[in-house]
Amino acid sequence: MRRFEMFWSKLAKKTEIHTIRTKLILSFLAMALIPLGIMAVFSYQTFYGNLTRSVAEYSHEVVGRMAKDLDEYFSDLEVLLTRDQDFYMDQLIKLVDGNDFNNRKYVFRIWEDLNNLYRVKPGLEEISLVFSGGNRLSNYGLYTLDFASFQRQFQSNPHERGVAILGPQQNFLNQTVVTMVKPYTSPTAKNAVFMTADISLERLANITDVRLGTRGYVFVADEHGRIIYHPSLDKLGTTSGFYRPTELHGFADGFGDYDNERFFLTTAYSPVTGWTIVSVAYADEIGAQVAPIQRITLVVTALILVGVVLLSVYLSHALSRPIKELQDLTKRAANNELSVHIDPQGNDEIAMLGHSFNKMIRRIQELMDENVREQKLLRKLEMESLDNQIKPHFIYNTLDLIIGQLESNQNEQASLLIEALGSFFRLSLSKGREVVPIGSEVEHVRNYLFIQQLRHGDEYEYEMTIEPGIRDKFIPRLLLQPLVENAIYHGILQANRQGKIHIAGFQKPNGDITFEIQDDGAGIEPDKLRDINEVLRGERSLRNEKEYFGLRNVNKRAQLMFGDEYGVVLESEQGQGTKAILNIKATREDPDV
Amino acid sequence: MLNGWIKKSVLSLCIFLGLFAWFGMQPVVADGFYEDDLVIAFLPRSLGNPIFLDAFEAAQKKAHELGVRLEWVAPFDFDSDLQVEMIENLIRRGVDGIVASVNDEEQVHNVFQKAMENGIPVATFDADSPGSGRLFYIGINNYEAGMEIGDALVDVIKSKGLEEETLETMIMTGYREALNLEERIRGFLDATNGEVNLHIADILENEDTVEKSIILLEDYLKINPEVDVIYFVGGWPFYVTSDALPNFRQWAKEGGIAVGIDLFYDALLLQKEGLIQYLIGQDMTSMGSQGLELLVRYIRYGEVPPEIVVTGLEHANETNIDRLLEIHKPWLVK
Repeated sequence: MRRFEMFWSKLAKKTEIHTIRTKLILSFLAMALIPLGIMAVFSYQTFYGNLTRSVAEYSHEVVGRMAKDLDEYFSDLEVLLTRDQDFYMDQLIKLVDGNDFNNRKYVFRIWEDLNNLYRVKPGLEEISLVFSGGNRLSNYGLYTLDFASFQRQFQSNPHERGVAILGPQQNFLNQTVVTMVKPYTSPTAKNAVFMTADISLERLANITDVRLGTRGYVFVADEHGRIIYHPSLDKLGTTSGFYRPTELHGFADGFGDYDNERFFLTTAYSPVTGWTIVSVAYADEIGAQVAPIQRITLVVTALILVGVVLLSVYLSHALSRPIKELQDLTKRAANNELSVHIDPQGNDEIAMLGHSFNKMIRRIQELMDENVREQKLLRKLEMESLDNQIKPHFIYNTLDLIIGQLESNQNEQASLLIEALGSFFRLSLSKGREVVPIGSEVEHVRNYLFIQQLRHGDEYEYEMTIEPGIRDKFIPRLLLQPLVENAIYHGILQANRQGKIHIAGFQKPNGDITFEIQDDGAGIEPDKLRDINEVLRGERSLRNEKEYFGLRNVNKRAQLMFGDEYGVVLESEQGQGTKAILNIKATREDPDV
Repeated sequence: MLNGWIKKSVLSLCIFLGLFAWFGMQPVVADGFYEDDLVIAFLPRSLGNPIFLDAFEAAQKKAHELGVRLEWVAPFDFDSDLQVEMIENLIRRGVDGIVASVNDEEQVHNVFQKAMENGIPVATFDADSPGSGRLFYIGINNYEAGMEIGDALVDVIKSKGLEEETLETMIMTGYREALNLEERIRGFLDATNGEVNLHIADILENEDTVEKSIILLEDYLKINPEVDVIYFVGGWPFYVTSDALPNFRQWAKEGGIAVGIDLFYDALLLQKEGLIQYLIGQDMTSMGSQGLELLVRYIRYGEVPPEIVVTGLEHANETNIDRLLEIHKPWLVK
C-alpha cells in the first residue's frame, strides 16, 4: 500500500495531476468517454442482439418455407403415385401374375405414361411399378431388383398413409435418390405391387439452396438424425452430430456447440416426409456481420476520443492559461514584484479575476506607497518630535541647572537631575523603537516633569494617575511629553500663578486607552480652541508648518498609528485651564518584536 | 411271373430315369427361382419406338423358357449418350450378358470393351456395331433390305409408267448416325440408281420418335405436296390410323408413292388403304428370341454363335396384304 502511494505520488507529480489543466483534461475526458463508452457497449449489445434475432427470424422463415416446399413436392408425388384402378396397370398385373408375356399393349402404354410423368415432374428421376417377382417396370424399361430387400426397407421405414420414403440410395442409373413408395392396390393382383418414385437429391438441394453466411448450409435428416440430404455428399446416411434424441424431432433451435465450433441452428419439420430441415449458421459468421459495425464503432470512438482529448487539452489550456498567468503574476507579486500586470481577454470570470488582480496590485502598490509615505511621515514626525525634545535650549538650560547645583554643592540634586536627564534622553531615543511600553512613556514624562519642575521651581505641581493595567500596553514613543510641555508652557506658565498638572491614563470600556493632560493654567480662548481642534481634525489646512506643531505632531502620529478616529482633542476654558485628551488603541504586542 | 414283374420293374425304372433325366434337363421355372440366376439385358434403341415390341415379347417368353431374368432397358426417346450410360450401369450392376440395338455405332465401342473386360459378353441386334468386338449380330442385312425395297420401288414406278420421269423423293430416317438406317439408305440408292430417276429432295430425321415422325411427315407434305416418292427407312409414322395422317392420305390419293421398311399390322392397314405401296419387314421376334438364346447358350455352355445371324425379310405387297393382315396381330399401342 505504501509503495502504491509512493508510486502514485511520483506519477501524480510527474503528470502534474494536481494542476487545474490536468484536472480539466481528466474531467472532459471522463465526461465524454464514459457516456461514449456506455453508448458504444449498449449499441453493440443491442445491435448484436437484434442481429441474432433477425438471423433467427430469417432462418425460421427460410426453413419454414423449405419445409412447406418439401411437403408440397412430396404431397404432389404421393398424388402421382396414387393410381386408383388404372386399367393398363391392372391388366399388366394380371398378365404378370399369370406369366403371360403378350403384354406389349399395356407395357408400352405404361412406359409412355411413366415417361410423361417423368418429364413433367421436376426432380423426378424414375417412376416405376415394382412387382413381388423382383421386376421393376419404370420409365427406363424393365429390370430386376432384390424385392426382399426392397420390402424390408419399406416395412422398416415409418409409413403414414401407407407411404414410405427410402434412402438415400443409388437408383438404376447410379444416381443418389430418395424413393417414395406406395403400395398399388389392384383388384387383380395376387401379390404385392408397389409404385415408386425416385427423387434426385438435387431436388432437395434446390429446395434447401439457401446459404446462411459463406459457410452456413442446410441439411435434411429423418427423425433418427440420419442425414437424408447434405451439401457434403459423404455425410449422406450418417447420423448428424446435431442430433439430440431427447428433442422433439431430434433437433433443437438456437446456439449449440459441435466439434469445437459454435453454431446457430434453425429447424423446421416436414410432416409429409417426417424429415427435419436444419439450417446451420456459423456463430462466428453471425458475429462477423457485426464486425464492420464493431470496426466503425471502434474507429468512430477512437476518432471521438482523439477529438475529445485534443479538445480537452485545448479547452483546459485555454481555461487554465489565464489562471496560470494569474498564478505566475501572483507569485511574482508575492515576491514583491508589484509592477506585474495581467492582460485579461474577454469578459468571463477569469477576465474579471484578472481585472480584480490588477486592481488589487494597484491598491497594494498604493497602500504600500501610502504606508511608505506614512512611515516616512512618521519617521519625520518622530524625528521632529525628537528634535523638539532634544532642543539645544532645553539641554543648555538643564546642564546649566546641573552646573549650578554642582557649584552650589547640591550634589544629590545634581545627581538626580543628571539621572533624570539621562533617563529622559534614553527614553527619548528608546533605541529607535517606534512604540514603547506606556510605563516607559510615563517614566519619560515623569523625568521631564522632574527636570522642568527643577527649572521652574514651585510654579507648578504635577500628579500622575496611570491605571496599572495599561502600563504594559504600548504607545508610540514621545507622544505624551509634547502635551505635557504644552500644559507647562501654554497653560501654567501663561497663567503666572502656581498651577497643577494632572496626567491621567486609563482604559475605556471599549478597550481604547485615553490620556488626559489637565492643567489649570490660562486656558485657550474659544475661537482658538475651535481652530486648534479643526486643525487637529484636518478640517482646516495649515497656514504655516509651525502652527500648533507639537499638538499636530502627536495627533498625526496617533492617527497614523491607529487611525483617524484617534488622536488629540483639546478642551479648554479660558482662564480655567486646558485638557489635552489623547486617545489611542490598546496595543498589547510590541510591533517591533 | 417273376420275369414279368422284373420286366415291369425295369420298365418303370427306365421310364422313371428317363423322366428324371428329362425334367432334370429342364430349367425349373417358377416365379422367383431361376436356374443359374443369369440376368440378360436387352437395350433397344428406344422404349418409345414400338417396332421393338415384337422382340420384347419374344425375349420375355424365351427368358421364361430358359429360366433367366430379362432386363429390357433403354431411354424412352433416342438418346445415344443415355444408352451408353445405361450400358455402364448394367456393367456396374453386374448383368451377365448384354444385347443392344446400337444408336451410335462408334460411341459404344469403349463401353462394349469395358463390358467384355468385365466378363460380360455383348451382342447386337437390329442395329450393329461391327468394329466393337461384339460377340455376334442378329438382324437383317440392312444394306440388302435397302436394296430390296429399292428394287420394289423400281417395280412400282415401272408399273405406273413413270420410269422416265424425274421423281422428287423424300427419305425419312431416324438419325443419320444410325448405321443400320444408313445402310438401308445406301442399299436403296444403289438399287434405284440407273433404274429410275429419283431426285432426293430431302432426308428428314425424326429422331427415332413416332410422334415426331408424324408431325414431320404432315408438315412436309403440307409444304411440299409435289413430292413424288417417299421412302420410309423405318416404320415410325405407321403406328397410327390414316385419320391421323390427313396430308399423307391426301397425297397418296393424288398418286404419291410410298415404300418403307418395317412391317406390322398397323402398317399393313395403311398399305391396304393404299397409302403405302410396298413394305419390307424385319423379323423382330427372332431377334428377341433367338438373340437371347444364342447369348444364354454362349454363357452357359460356351457355344460360340456365328458372328452374323441374319434374320429374314418379309415382303408385303398387294398380292399378299390380306394374308399378312390375318397373320399379324394388332398392336394397339397407339
